[in-house]
Amino acid sequence: MKKYVRMTLNERVQHLNLIINFAILVVTGFALKYSGATWTTPITDVPAGMTFRGLLHRLSGAAIVSLGLYHILYMFLTPRGRSLLVDLVPRWKDALDVWETLKNNFFINRPPKEIKMGRFSFREKFEYLGLVWGTAVMTVTGFILWLEVEWLKYFPRWTFDLFRAIHFYEAVLATLTILVWHFYAVMLDPDVYPMSWAWITGNISEHEMKLEHGLHLERLEAEERMKGSGSTEDLPTGQQSMFAGEVNEERTSVRRFTRRLREFNERMRNWPGV
Amino acid sequence: MKSTDLVLRGILLALILLLGFISNSRAVENSLCFGCHQDADLSRVDAAGKKISLYVSEVRFKSSVHGDLSCSDCHTRIKDDAHSAGGQKVRERVNCGACHEEQNREYLKGLHAKTDPKTSTRAATCSDCHGKHAVYRANDPRSMVHPSQVGKTCDRCHSDKDFTRLHALGPTSPGELFKESVHGKTGEVTCKNCHGTHDLKSLIDPKSSIFRSNLPHTCGECHPEVMQQFVESIHGVLAARGRGDSPTCTTCHGIHGIKAKVDPESSVNERRIALTTCPQCHAAERISQEYGITRGLVKSYYDSFHGLSYRGGDTFSANCASCHGVHDIFPSSDPRSKIHKDNLQKTCGVCHPGASANFAKGKIHTVASLAGRDISEKAVGWVRLIYIILIATVIGGMVIFNAADWVRKTVDRKH
Repeated sequence: MKKYVRMTLNERVQHLNLIINFAILVVTGFALKYSGATWTTPITDVPAGMTFRGLLHRLSGAAIVSLGLYHILYMFLTPRGRSLLVDLVPRWKDALDVWETLKNNFFINRPPKEIKMGRFSFREKFEYLGLVWGTAVMTVTGFILWLEVEWLKYFPRWTFDLFRAIHFYEAVLATLTILVWHFYAVMLDPDVYPMSWAWITGNISEHEMKLEHGLHLERLEAEERMKGSGSTEDLPTGQQSMFAGEVNEERTSVRRFTRRLREFNERMRNWPGV
Repeated sequence: MKSTDLVLRGILLALILLLGFISNSRAVENSLCFGCHQDADLSRVDAAGKKISLYVSEVRFKSSVHGDLSCSDCHTRIKDDAHSAGGQKVRERVNCGACHEEQNREYLKGLHAKTDPKTSTRAATCSDCHGKHAVYRANDPRSMVHPSQVGKTCDRCHSDKDFTRLHALGPTSPGELFKESVHGKTGEVTCKNCHGTHDLKSLIDPKSSIFRSNLPHTCGECHPEVMQQFVESIHGVLAARGRGDSPTCTTCHGIHGIKAKVDPESSVNERRIALTTCPQCHAAERISQEYGITRGLVKSYYDSFHGLSYRGGDTFSANCASCHGVHDIFPSSDPRSKIHKDNLQKTCGVCHPGASANFAKGKIHTVASLAGRDISEKAVGWVRLIYIILIATVIGGMVIFNAADWVRKTVDRKH
């Protein structure tokens, strides 16, 4: 069965980084607001737990900001990043896709109409934009809270209170979005249940491609036909394109991941130094 | 030899003989009494049918501070069948006041001299606290009023739960609480340090050492610096003027069971200050209403970073006392206050090094509200409203969208 690259190793590491730091931020953040709740006892019952919580929150915040900066560079400076960026721009077709999906879902289209979506569906574009927006808001307000003394040299206290409130409510919005929107798409959705493995293997199956990214699949297949090669399966390692969507070798990416790690180790061992 | 010399010698001889006779006769007399009263089983039954022991330990009496006195010095009049005729009916119990005049005068002014209308007996007599035959000096460890024994002596009545309930004495076991207290553990401070001794007075007596407005001075005997700070503070001034809802020492520190503030059990422990100590009054509507204090003080603190972190157990986070002071609390309008506008920058700067003048401006105890008078309250109120609508719409929309998606896909799959 053919598989298609959805996330390169680099992107998966970015995603993993985001998972870890987002989770830490959610837990350490809401542990402050709801410090009386039972689930916070592992933090509040430990000596200096609350102090450690604050430190960890800032540390993770800094990590996520660094990740964001790295991601901006990645999106603008690498060819693959730029191609992702172009494909992530919302277009009129996305609005039509939403409309048709709603008609399908509320049984207005009988039988349901097949919707062919591009490399990123409206669902993914919405989430990506939400993530960018949320990260921007949380970064700005977070730094204001962090650098309270500096901020209050130039601005009145009420602005600080305002940003503090925004930081909290935006956090609620972001967390619920992940729980409701993202977790449905990658877990509860009957098409992928129990889970989409793309965040680990980097691949999705042809079937999933057809369901979610029909248009993109057609384009890839057209490109393939033009190149005259049926598949890139027989290309030697290292010559495979980094561009997502290209047909990938029929090998699990986990194995590829370990191989890359080995290669990386080897390279570090033989590193001559600067 | 001159005759005057002879006379002097004669007087001296007479004095020696007299002294010898007196001591001899005392010994004779006391041994007479002990002849019967040494018997451990000697007893009589009083009018109520209660058996009363008449045993007196000669050894203990002899060792007591009164050991040189004769029985009849105190038991001046005894008349009943068992004793020789000629004695007179006992109208008074043993009257210590005959010798201890000053103490007796003080005692008669005190609460323990009050007569119980039901039994026509005094609340407590000399012997209740000092003992009967085995009376020792207060600095003798055997004495019932020696610092090591006072607690036990007072507890005989004041930790008797039935007794305290019967006489509505309030605390049912002050002694137990006191034993565990920081004062009790010193072994030097006892009941009498705060309550007084012979002229011990009722809680409601303005002359009492534990009368509300006198408390700071009673505690100040040992804590003079704290007392000085407190009596000048807003709490101290109002308490001195008789405001019943203004705190005194015991309002925050507790009464008999006072603990060191580092003790987690202490009512003024760092972890309790902002949970119970101050909120016991400042979270109360009657206080904020009566004294025109900003409402929602405690709530606004709990909503602030300081309060949230504090409630989670953060020991670095500011509590009430961090900004308002401890014994030296003044209203913000008072230039001595830590939160007076001229002092606030310095107060904030304790934890926030480099806090600017602007840092200390603006309302601190704010409660988010659209109708709030402060711009911060309004701003946060609006943010809250907008975000709640936004969250409800966006997340609600997502839930509906996903639910429909799930239903459709599940239904399609079944076909």
